[in-house]
Amino acid sequence: MKDDMQNRFMPLRKNARFAGVFLMGLWLFMLVGCASTPRLTESTEQALPQQTLIEDVPFHAQREYQCGPASLAMVLNHDGADVAMERLIPQVFLPGREGSVQPEMLATVRRHGRIPYVLDNSFDALLTEIAAGHPVVVMQNLALPAWPMWHYAVAIGYDLEAEEMTVHSGEEAARIESFRRFDATWARSDRWAFVALAPGEMPSGIGEQHALQAIAAFEQVQGAEAAVPAWEALVARFPDSGMGYFALGNARHAAGDASGAIAAFRASVAHRDDLGVAWLNLGLLLGAQGETGEARQALGRAADLPGQWQPRAREALQRL
Amino acid sequence: MKTLRRFLSPLLILALVLGSVSVSAAPLPASELVSTQAALSAERADADRERINEILSRADVQEQLVAQGVDPAEVEARVAALSDEEARQMAEQLDQLPAGASVVGALVLIFLVLLVTDILGLTNVFPFTR
Repeated sequence: MKDDMQNRFMPLRKNARFAGVFLMGLWLFMLVGCASTPRLTESTEQALPQQTLIEDVPFHAQREYQCGPASLAMVLNHDGADVAMERLIPQVFLPGREGSVQPEMLATVRRHGRIPYVLDNSFDALLTEIAAGHPVVVMQNLALPAWPMWHYAVAIGYDLEAEEMTVHSGEEAARIESFRRFDATWARSDRWAFVALAPGEMPSGIGEQHALQAIAAFEQVQGAEAAVPAWEALVARFPDSGMGYFALGNARHAAGDASGAIAAFRASVAHRDDLGVAWLNLGLLLGAQGETGEARQALGRAADLPGQWQPRAREALQRL
Repeated sequence: MKTLRRFLSPLLILALVLGSVSVSAAPLPASELVSTQAALSAERADADRERINEILSRADVQEQLVAQGVDPAEVEARVAALSDEEARQMAEQLDQLPAGASVVGALVLIFLVLLVTDILGLTNVFPFTR
């Protein structure tokens, strides 16, 4: 009798369970969207070593809410900046938000003499930087979009075959996360990530405009002299960058290297004949050096080019 | 902040106008080159108005940081290290910016949902689910 009952109800119970799981799955799918293992482009996959682990990234266990300062301390110390995590807390932590926000993470990197470069929002860029030996600070939302739990961690390694990331995260050093889980949590910050590099180093995939802005922001905080190697690296990477040579000229001039500055301004106008501001600075500097003839030519060119610097060039030409 | 803005704006406009007047009136030393930052921002339209906004947003951010509990002795250096773009972003939307912190403060229902999504590998809240 008892067996009979059970047999009769079994199919129904099975169906109910199936329906429940299905509905739950559907709801979760709608809640979080589709998560899958991230794919690399073929060229990246061929260029990268199968696995990488940057061994010498120091680990700082985060205390309450302090994953921002802890992550910063890890990348800065790895790059040789001698700054304690305790010192970083008052520089980046926002007590009212019980956390640290992205712009201030970047700003704090500048204060310690490194240039923050925000990477392309892609898995390719992330792994490429790790392979280049640069630990990467990533922002993750460990929970769901509806109840975010924002978190900074430092990605230090990967294994393409096992599809695993190695991250210094929270209270756990070198923790292993599957590509899928890592990317699911990282994608919720639009794959926000940055590296902190000494002036003179640059991430491999960065664009010219982006690099110009990053170095100019650094220069504003640390001064032109500190930025000279960064501008030199920029023109080495982008040999046609008129604006890059212009910036290099300014930095060299501020560092007291007048002849180097003139050379850089000349290179700038050689690549971009229409860059009035470079002609203007070239002319001004040549004039100050007593090269009146050449100064007149450069200022004349600047005065001919329409734009914001035209009045200033005309006036400098008159004064010459 | 509104009143401060109302008070500061005319002063800044005046200062900038006077600044540009003196450029054309008194001869500058020839070493006065155009800075990289000025050249980069001049490539964008409305450079002057942007400069005013820049200065205002930095003052704004300073105030907001103090309100968020940052030590006033630290505020100035923190704001100075921001790029112009970042200062504007902070001034306009500090409340909406995600703040990386990572604490488990979830309610029971959320706990259960997150537990399931953790097991599915979609989230990463609880270390024991791996």
